[in-house]
Amino acid sequence: MNRSVMDRIIDTIEAIAALFVGLVAADIFLAVFLRRFFSVQIPDSYDFGRMLLGILIFWGIAATSYRGGHITVDLVWASASRRWKRVIDVFATLVLLFVVTVQTYTLFDKVRATYQDNVLTYDLGLPTWPFFAVAWIGDVSAVVLIAIRTYRLIFHPEDLHPEGAPAR
Amino acid sequence: MAQDRPVDLKISIWLPPAHPLVPSTKEWAADIEKQSGGTIKSAIFPSEQLGKAFDHYDMARDGIADITYVNPGYQPGRFPIIAVGQIPFTFADAKKGTAALDAWYRKLAATEMKDTHFCLAFILDPGTYHGRKKVTVPEDIKGMKIRPAQSTLGQMVTMLGGTNVQASAPEARDVLERGVADGIFFPWGSMFLFGLDKVTKYHMDVPLFSAVFTYSMNKAKYDAMSPAQKKVIDDHCTTEWAVKLTSPWHDFEESGLPKMKAAAGHEVYPLTPDQLKQWKASVEPLQKAWAEAVRKTGADPDALYKDFQASVAKYQAGF
Amino acid sequence: MSPDGVALLGFLVLFALMLLRVPVGMAMGLVGVSGYAYLSGGAPSLKLVGQTSMRTVTDYQFGVIPMFLLMGAFVSNSGVSRELFRAANTFVGHRRGGLGLATIVSCGAFAAISGSSVATAATFSTVAYPEMRRYGYPQSFSTGVIAAGGTLGAMLPPSTVLAVYGLITQQDIGKLFMAGILPGLLAMTMYMATIALICRVRPDFLPIVKKASWADRVEGLRDVWAPIVLFLFVIGGLYGGFFTPTEAGGVGAAGAFLLGLARRRLGRAEIRASLLQATRTAAAVFTVLIGALLFGYFLTITQVPQKVTEFLTGLGIGAYGVLALIMLMYLVLGCLMDAMAMIILTVPIIFPVVTTLGFDPVWFGVIIVMTVELGLIHPPVGMNVFVIKSVVQDVTFSSIFKGVLPFIATDILRLVVLIVFPIIALWLPSRM
Ligand code: NA
Ligand code: NA
Repeated sequence: MNRSVMDRIIDTIEAIAALFVGLVAADIFLAVFLRRFFSVQIPDSYDFGRMLLGILIFWGIAATSYRGGHITVDLVWASASRRWKRVIDVFATLVLLFVVTVQTYTLFDKVRATYQDNVLTYDLGLPTWPFFAVAWIGDVSAVVLIAIRTYRLIFHPEDLHPEGAPAR
Repeated sequence: MAQDRPVDLKISIWLPPAHPLVPSTKEWAADIEKQSGGTIKSAIFPSEQLGKAFDHYDMARDGIADITYVNPGYQPGRFPIIAVGQIPFTFADAKKGTAALDAWYRKLAATEMKDTHFCLAFILDPGTYHGRKKVTVPEDIKGMKIRPAQSTLGQMVTMLGGTNVQASAPEARDVLERGVADGIFFPWGSMFLFGLDKVTKYHMDVPLFSAVFTYSMNKAKYDAMSPAQKKVIDDHCTTEWAVKLTSPWHDFEESGLPKMKAAAGHEVYPLTPDQLKQWKASVEPLQKAWAEAVRKTGADPDALYKDFQASVAKYQAGF
Repeated sequence: MSPDGVALLGFLVLFALMLLRVPVGMAMGLVGVSGYAYLSGGAPSLKLVGQTSMRTVTDYQFGVIPMFLLMGAFVSNSGVSRELFRAANTFVGHRRGGLGLATIVSCGAFAAISGSSVATAATFSTVAYPEMRRYGYPQSFSTGVIAAGGTLGAMLPPSTVLAVYGLITQQDIGKLFMAGILPGLLAMTMYMATIALICRVRPDFLPIVKKASWADRVEGLRDVWAPIVLFLFVIGGLYGGFFTPTEAGGVGAAGAFLLGLARRRLGRAEIRASLLQATRTAAAVFTVLIGALLFGYFLTITQVPQKVTEFLTGLGIGAYGVLALIMLMYLVLGCLMDAMAMIILTVPIIFPVVTTLGFDPVWFGVIIVMTVELGLIHPPVGMNVFVIKSVVQDVTFSSIFKGVLPFIATDILRLVVLIVFPIIALWLPSRM
């Protein structure tokens, strides 16, 4: 995979996550507004809100993992030499890759169970599994991005974006 | 029995430790330990310490806990058969209703809850409408925002032209206080436990609805026990135990009605026979919806319903 | 191995992984699940991962976190921090130590929109620090005052750490937010008093800035009315019972967005940046929340929390002795990790102790956040200090700590005041 393709993947995943945070805010705002001023309840706004939240978080974890934006303890790392910094980074990223891969596997199981058990939304009785599936794809993206991060960290550390900076 | 392998059971009940079901489950578990000659020991985990209320069926299925307290109605669509107990105006008495539900569902659990070992089923002490506005006939629900206790009541609210407000029991006071909801369906004793008496005024004195629960067990855990140990579990997973185990809770809920009647600033009003007739007529579509959902699973709803009614009649649990 | 042994080993591995910079949430999840698997079998523990992850991210109440993060991001990307500082400066800048006072006031105002102390410290390192230096304020005082002012971010509502505390302990987040207001205002007052005191002791330490005209003051206020109105609307709505906390966050985010658009402060780039910031931080927080739950389930089956409670309450040093011990532990942990990680890691173990001892859970939430924040600025290391150092490159750690020392003294005094008078935290929530 060449560099610009990777960068485009990362940008797209981040943009999708960002879109969902906006959707959750819009859902909550609309629900409150309609309830307060028109005494109207959007059917399933509660279930939609929480399922959109799930999607946003998993897609966000993808972005955060790639950026190295997780909450970490930097005490040892900060006082390590350049060389050791890299060793620590590679180790931490490999652990991250392992954990998120396991999580993604178990979440697939969860999505499948939601489908098989016919879990429905409260008001409209819509199946919930498609929402869970979209959230799960976010976690798959996380695995992909962490793999890219690990690859770059080991072989092309110069390509890695600094924390918090945009991809380009 | 001394040669039986020791077994440790993790019992998960998502209620707080002070809830009447927790101490009575402790007694139940202590009796299991005694009858098994000390080979089946239990630890009880209240307050969602091992997982959220919604996940308790899956927790038993997956072995995260060994016995769990399940509200099948938390996941609409997943357990359509037992949901019959959620149809309003089904049960008038908690103890008799528990016996009727358990005796009937016992043989059906093997299909509907096939990935767990069924222990027992019970119902909620029938609760009713409480709110800031007075509700006497079904039409009164129109335009109201109501927190239902279970999903079938939610369907009823929608059907009658009201809107549902979703909130957990601890959040319920908040949503009533903030005007997010105008009314609530709730059992009597818990009204005081959750401070809901502070935010409601009108209470319809009728056993309007109930809810269903099970104690479900991890299959592998049960299968791995010795025959003697299995028998001890079987002897504690009976209709009699279902009633005995839940009686303290039912008594607690029941005591809320006289308490509310005596409380100042509260109006507890009965329904006239005509009003009751209107209510019963208005919920008939819910029974049809139940039958439809059951039919989709391939079961015969008419036969099941007839059998269920027979059980309710046998235990004199209905109206 | 006995459950106690497994728990102890779990803690050791957890700390090793965290020191090797494995994200805190991932480390807790990994150790928690491995320990659970050892004690309860592999298959259930894997199910636990999927179930816990999905349940946590789709919990409506947890939505409060991304929503308040989004509100903060929209407001700060509308360029409000600089204006807040300028407005505060027109009112107090001409007094001795005036730029320091202005920093505290504007940190407090910014804290009323932002939920994080680190974000507040980082923001004012870029906004207030250059101004103070321009007028000849010493480097150590300038960075010290920002480190202290930053802690207001977690104290005054909205507060991400207080929200997380509420989610873990199932306390009302609205009440917790209200409980933070008076202690936060007390902190501001005491910080300002500290600056005044420094100026009295060393009159020539801090130079004086020209007094602003009333025209300048009105102009300054015109720039900042919008975020102030938004704050009053959101927190007032929460206090008055118009919204639940999650709704308050959603309404606040939408309000910040609409205000930013109306005032032409939010272009495409700012909107995008705000959405991304909120998403990234929320994802980081949820990762820790999921990890903490998994670690918590592991601890539950080892029964460690009960044993810790029994041990601490059996020490015979009284409720306040145990409280002091707990606070000491937080100060030590403050050298290692940030506020969120500390709260999430320890509250499941400490909370049962605190309730057993009969302390008010809302009050304890305020106390614990104050203690944790103190851990972020006290020597030898602390998170806020790291953040300031990363922005102000040429300052040394010891110089920042020297500057922050007087404020640490006031923080300790304030803790004592709040322990003696819990009513300061509990009065507002009791009126809700
Ligand atoms: Na704040
Ligand atoms: Na520290």
